[in-house]
Amino acid sequence: MIPNSVAHFAEYELQIIALATMLVLYAIKSYQLTRLPMPWEKGPKKGKSLAGTIRSYTAIFMPWSMESSRKHFFRWFEFGAYHIGALIAILNTFTTPFVPTMMTPTVRLIFAILIMPAIAAGITKFTRRVSRTELRLISTPDDYFALVSVELFFILAVLALALNTPLWRTIYFFITAGFLFYVPFSKISHYIYFLFAGVITGSRYGWRGVRPQVRQVR
Amino acid sequence: MTVELAEKELEKKYNKLTGTAASNLCTHCGWCTDACHVYQATNDPETTPVAKAEKVRRVYKKHHDWMSKVFPFWSGAKKLTEQELDQWVEMAFLNCTLCERCVVNCPMGVETPQLIAAARSALTAAGKAPEILVQLADMAISREENAEIYRDLFLEQVKEIEKELQNHLGNPEASIPIDKEGARILYVPLSGAHTILPEAIIFNAAHESWTLSMFEASNYAYFLGDSDKAKRIAMRIINEATRLKVKEIVLTECGHAYTLMRWEVPKWLGGPLLFRVRNILEVLDEYTRDSRLTLDPSRNSEALTYHDSCNLGRKGGLIEEPRRVIRAVAQDFRDMIPHGLESLCCGGGAGLVAIAEWSDRRINAGKPKAEQIRHTGAKVVVTSCDNCRHQISDLNEHYKLGIKVTSLAELVVQAMVLPDVKKATLLPK
Repeated sequence: MIPNSVAHFAEYELQIIALATMLVLYAIKSYQLTRLPMPWEKGPKKGKSLAGTIRSYTAIFMPWSMESSRKHFFRWFEFGAYHIGALIAILNTFTTPFVPTMMTPTVRLIFAILIMPAIAAGITKFTRRVSRTELRLISTPDDYFALVSVELFFILAVLALALNTPLWRTIYFFITAGFLFYVPFSKISHYIYFLFAGVITGSRYGWRGVRPQVRQVR
Repeated sequence: MTVELAEKELEKKYNKLTGTAASNLCTHCGWCTDACHVYQATNDPETTPVAKAEKVRRVYKKHHDWMSKVFPFWSGAKKLTEQELDQWVEMAFLNCTLCERCVVNCPMGVETPQLIAAARSALTAAGKAPEILVQLADMAISREENAEIYRDLFLEQVKEIEKELQNHLGNPEASIPIDKEGARILYVPLSGAHTILPEAIIFNAAHESWTLSMFEASNYAYFLGDSDKAKRIAMRIINEATRLKVKEIVLTECGHAYTLMRWEVPKWLGGPLLFRVRNILEVLDEYTRDSRLTLDPSRNSEALTYHDSCNLGRKGGLIEEPRRVIRAVAQDFRDMIPHGLESLCCGGGAGLVAIAEWSDRRINAGKPKAEQIRHTGAKVVVTSCDNCRHQISDLNEHYKLGIKVTSLAELVVQAMVLPDVKKATLLPK
């Protein structure tokens, strides 16, 4: 049904082109960011920058550490499920074409099971975005499109994993490639900035002894 | 022209990694929404941190985001207009106190206040900042320019306070030194006796080597985002400290003055100052730990709570210090929930208490704090920031909380056991 050459192109060449494009664009973005002055603290330190940075990166794994996750635990759980799903779906784009021996039926099943909660999380996220006034107010076409495209990516990942036919794999890889081309231009690329923000915010709080809190000073 | 000035200022602020990360990092997830006391109080979706930041972010994106430059509608990017700037005034100066509560509740660490501060700078450059804040900043500069005239008035005022000090201590030798070269501490108060007398009592009782600054600690240019003026106002104190060859600058109980001098000024100057910078809270903590004061906690027997100023706590790192002092000088201390890093803003910060025409809305925004105070059952609220003190006093009156609002230094004086003096009190009746 799908010519072998097309399926092969979608799984290999196209993926490599899409990934390379994304990486080049990310490299440009990162380079632009590193050219800007870093707002390092200059006053005598009270705490440790590194501890603050680590805390900043790991705060999300400690739902008890933020009021926003304590008060809205479901939202935190949804966040986790969504990002685990994203991680697995991305991993699958590498393992399926490049490490096919790893993709046994059991591994495919585990991957599919891990991505499925992310599909549900995507639906609840979308529902909240359209139903809550405060979220509708700030939402842009990019927000809706990003949600829908990631949702499509998840669904196709599960279908490709579960059915494992050339047709579904080809559809999945074509959509993945489109997704990879789009990501650097959308809010989905937030994680690039997160790497910088974790250092900026975390080191400031750490240096000042705010987070983690420095209790004793002489 | 106004828009051009604002855009130029925004561009300056954008050219910092913090602004860049803040403008591109947000995913509009909405986790920050109910972290904001203004949104909690008003339920107005325009007052969520993300909605406020989004106004600035969209202007930044128009100039800096790849997609937004070509397809602005896709990210909502837009050009800055005069009308847009007018809408920013309330957003930046009324609906955000730069408290950073949204930052600690954001899973990405988006520094929304950086964007709002950039908006403040742009509005100031465009001549649209609240007039009273501009006047207060200019007044501080004028005091420096007319130091000689101001000096005589100041000395007269201090003489009066000195008499009160001598009465309190029962010691006619007690003094408030000014211009004392080689003193260990340069103490920087606010204008008004309430930030001079309690500290003078404490320094005298602790036999401290100190001198009083001729200038006030507050820096309204900081609230305006006017870096040039803010630096100039801060430099008055630094120059005075240099001239007097002091070992450290101790700032009074004022949130922004501390954060500015301790953390921001070194960034402006490219390195640490020649002297140590501390807040009086840290000195009080040192005195109580080193037993330099004789204290009787039973003199503060009423239930009391502590309000963390956002500048001192979340932005400044002074969270445990005031609590250690309170435990040493009072019997019934009850922390608010939440407090410290997650403390709710009182609603009066970042210069808002000075803007009379917004007082009703300021008091409304303080409702979550009023409820929090009421919930503790405390009869005394201690706070170490004059803006917070002013706001909590207004909240007390409006929401009928039945509390007394005091500073930490006043609370310490209340607990001090002084020879020849039965009980000194500076607490409000």
